[in-house]
Amino acid sequence: MFKKLIDSSAARSPWLYHINAGSCNGCDIELVALLTPRYDVERLGFKLAGTPRHADIVVVTGPVTAQSKDRVLRTIDQVPDPKVIVTLGSCPRSCNVFRGSYSVVGPLDKYVPIDVSIAGCTPKPEAIIDGLALAAQILKEKRGAR
Amino acid sequence: MYLVYILIFPGLLFSTVFGLYLAGIDRKVVARMQKRTGPPVLQPAYDFFKLLGKETIVPGGAARRTFLIAPYIGLASLIVTVLFIPIGGLQAFGGMADMVVILYLITIPSLAMIFGGSASASPYAGVGVSRSMVAIMAYELPLILVLLAVGKAAGVNAVTFSLEQVTLYQQFFGSFLFDWRLIPAALAMLLVIPCEVGAHPFDVGEAETEICEGPLVEYSGAPLAVFKLSHAVKMFVMTALFTALFLGGISTGMLWLDVVIAIVICTVVTLLCMTLLHAVTARLKVEQMFKFFWTVVSGLALVSLLLVWFVN
Amino acid sequence: MNYDIYSHFPVLAVMLYFVGAFIVTLIGKRRTARNIVAGAVMLISLALLLALVGPVMLDGEIITYWMGDWEPAAGYAIGIAIEVDALSLFFGLLAAIAVALAGFYSFKYITQDDANGPFFTLFLMLSGGVMGILLSGDLFNIYVMLEVMTFAAVGLTAFRTWNPNAREAAFKYLVVGSIGSSCILLGIALVYAQCHTLNLAQISAILPGNLNPTTILAFALLFAGFGCKSFMFPFQPIAADAHGAAPSSVSVLISGVFTKTGVYGIIRVSYFLFRTMGLTSIQTMVVFIGCLSMFVCVTMALNQHDFKRLLAFHSISQIGYILTALGLCTGIGIAGGLYHAINHTLFKGLLFLVAGSVLYGTGTTYLEKLGGLARKMPQTAALFMIGALSISGIPPFNGFASKWMIYQATFEKAAETGSIGYALVTVVCVVTSVLTLASFVKVGQSVFFGQLPLEYENVRETPLSMRIPMWIMAALCVITGLFPEQMIQYVIGPASAAVLNVPAYIDSAMGAGYAALTMADYSYLAEPVISFIGFWDPVSWLVLFAIVMCAITLASLMGKRSRGAVTLADDERHAVFFGGEAAEYSHVAGADLFWGFKHNLRGYLGFMSRAHSGVTNDYVIWGVCALAVITAYCFIFI
Repeated sequence: MFKKLIDSSAARSPWLYHINAGSCNGCDIELVALLTPRYDVERLGFKLAGTPRHADIVVVTGPVTAQSKDRVLRTIDQVPDPKVIVTLGSCPRSCNVFRGSYSVVGPLDKYVPIDVSIAGCTPKPEAIIDGLALAAQILKEKRGAR
Repeated sequence: MYLVYILIFPGLLFSTVFGLYLAGIDRKVVARMQKRTGPPVLQPAYDFFKLLGKETIVPGGAARRTFLIAPYIGLASLIVTVLFIPIGGLQAFGGMADMVVILYLITIPSLAMIFGGSASASPYAGVGVSRSMVAIMAYELPLILVLLAVGKAAGVNAVTFSLEQVTLYQQFFGSFLFDWRLIPAALAMLLVIPCEVGAHPFDVGEAETEICEGPLVEYSGAPLAVFKLSHAVKMFVMTALFTALFLGGISTGMLWLDVVIAIVICTVVTLLCMTLLHAVTARLKVEQMFKFFWTVVSGLALVSLLLVWFVN
Repeated sequence: MNYDIYSHFPVLAVMLYFVGAFIVTLIGKRRTARNIVAGAVMLISLALLLALVGPVMLDGEIITYWMGDWEPAAGYAIGIAIEVDALSLFFGLLAAIAVALAGFYSFKYITQDDANGPFFTLFLMLSGGVMGILLSGDLFNIYVMLEVMTFAAVGLTAFRTWNPNAREAAFKYLVVGSIGSSCILLGIALVYAQCHTLNLAQISAILPGNLNPTTILAFALLFAGFGCKSFMFPFQPIAADAHGAAPSSVSVLISGVFTKTGVYGIIRVSYFLFRTMGLTSIQTMVVFIGCLSMFVCVTMALNQHDFKRLLAFHSISQIGYILTALGLCTGIGIAGGLYHAINHTLFKGLLFLVAGSVLYGTGTTYLEKLGGLARKMPQTAALFMIGALSISGIPPFNGFASKWMIYQATFEKAAETGSIGYALVTVVCVVTSVLTLASFVKVGQSVFFGQLPLEYENVRETPLSMRIPMWIMAALCVITGLFPEQMIQYVIGPASAAVLNVPAYIDSAMGAGYAALTMADYSYLAEPVISFIGFWDPVSWLVLFAIVMCAITLASLMGKRSRGAVTLADDERHAVFFGGEAAEYSHVAGADLFWGFKHNLRGYLGFMSRAHSGVTNDYVIWGVCALAVITAYCFIFI
């Protein structure tokens, strides 16, 4: 009974932890926009968590800069399993226009496996919701895989 | 029969389920007040079960046993407290603890969270511990004033600490909420409830944006789930206490109907004191909160105590 | 029944300590022999007093023993009496238990000090002095024992002579303690001039009806003097210095036993000798002083940086509870006060021993320097938790049971007298209790939890011989908390009845019928009934708690397979979250932990900190002012 309840809840309450890895703040604003009345992701159970220990989904924005790399990786590491890593915007996936800069050591998938990446500069809120919903499904699968 | 009381109603099963329901209603209504759709009412339950399925990370520097045991102690003591509070005339274990004992029993869960967080060795938790403790200091003064006012009002010529007697008195003479002398105390109690539960705007100890949820910062998985559950049950305990103190004695003669009425009242009280405040206020700073409770709220309670004492 | 054999026990219990002190000095440097003698003395005395429990506590007998068989002749008690009623025995037992546990703890504890020769001599002198005061039936004898006790305590405070703070504290203690002693001596002289006798029982028979200026002055002096010995407000700063500087096992005695002799003295003076406790004005005074001690000291404790100084202020705060309860002069008030006296000795003793263990392990008790010790000293941390929860009055530990009785007593008194002041006393008691909790959360966070500083990586658990006395105290804390009804029936009840049963005390010493002949008002001050206006049943709570806990455990076992794993490791993944940075040493702790609280009360707290200037002259002025105020008050209102 417990297994069933836990499994069915796995996708219904994904808590996000948001890491800014040198983003221009555009994606961050869009992510926060999801909490507004217009999009309201809380209806799907999403919630922004205050600490990585509470998170299920790590949302990374920004091309990974040299300064932020260690911090980002450490924080991702500190999230308890099962977890899903989502990149938001083009930067963490391809470094976007910052590619080749001396201070950028991205993209993120050099260091950790990425589950969902939401493309766009910045992605539309609808696209983010779509990506996050997908991430929640992956979360459920990961839970089943254990 | 006693086992039914302890495990099903109003004990373990009912209080957790009803607590989660209250928490869900709270979130839903806040969302509606902000013109959002809001999460389903079952959302806290989903959160709880999801957290059970997560890994529990015990920080390397933590005092491990305290860290892992604290949430369970808190939850268990909270559920025992439920048994002492009359719900719709049904008092599972009446003659075992009075109002003042309950005042102390409801600090145990907060204390469990404080020591659990403290054991995690995180500096965020350290700040959270400090703030949670200040919150306890803040609400304890008005709460005891409220309890004394009610105890004096219910004791007629003498005084009483017994919740049973408070309920009985209200059955004969009408609820205290409609006694003008006790209205300030009821208001003070309504303000104490969110502070005791750790809800907006008095959730300084668990502020997620500033100090990463304070004492809970290092918790994950099942212990965190238990803390979230305790939080939900606490909402139930505090609203039930309010109901017993100020709206007791609403009696139709049928026990099940009384219980249903009590449950409805609990929900309404939650909406009034937690949801409404949550939706319209921002978090206070810790020193503002302390000042507010020791001046305004205590003042209200003191006014009631004086009125009860000198006006018949 | 014939209790002849028992009548020798009290005097033996007192003398044994002194004889032991003497022998210990003779033995000199042989540590084992010294320990055996000291241990034997402490245990035998305890056993002798325990043997008296049957006749005195349960059968209500009062044991009177005339030194040298000098019984009263021609209606005057000339000889020195040892008179043990339930009240004396109650405090005596308390003292004997604390002395035995602290003594056994000291065997290992003082090995760190190089010059530990005189320790047990002074320790046993102190114990003997305390026992002498508690069991004596003679006013001047009490004074002599008080001096023995005070000087032994001063010596023990300065025991760590390498520590300048200890020497300074001892000096302050000596000066202010002497003021108290002088007051008592003067008071005794005045009483003797009035009554021509020094026997407690006879004075209690003659004095109460005849209050004239001389006796009022005597009362004020005796009250202030014993108040000084109990460190009530405003004598509290010396206590803080002395407790902080003395070795921990001595602090146990100073806080748990020494201050109790002050309380005992106040009870004897105001309930027996002068019977002034029946007067509303004196009740108000005692309750007011109690509340001041309670609140001022607990706020000062919140300000402290040192574990032991913090505990010292808490002791006075708890003495405040006891005084408040005793000042109510109702059955439940006296019972609550005496109950709190037991509990205070137990949990404060436990906490001082814990502080001693921390000092033993780490070499400091400074809150800002410590942290995370629960990982290295798990048992000490558990003991600390028991002590801290007891003193903060968290159910089901013992502090709650007695505080709860005190709340009831104050609130009931408020309803009886119709004065709202007593209801505010209840509020002060509750607020003090939560502030106590706060300061122990501070200690927990600063010493046992949080991060472990690097230099304490090699700290080890307290040695077993030190842990055993602590565990015994912790067990007593739990037991006295779990069975309040039995405690009241067998221990507190007889003792609090004895407080009010003055005629029996007089008759036992002076012969039956003496009280009825001489006493002006042959009646009880208050009915010795203990009735409750609420209920609290710790055992049922514990049973319910256990059932719920079992249910939760069962539920979590059922879901064990589907639950997430629990992982422990020392790698970076399991390091604390530090905002993404590598975790570094950052321990949130120390005296300023509750700044949100302190910020609001900064005016008051600043004033109080400045007032506790640490200058002996200031403290003497405080003491003299207190004496003046008490005297003036007594003259105006009696």
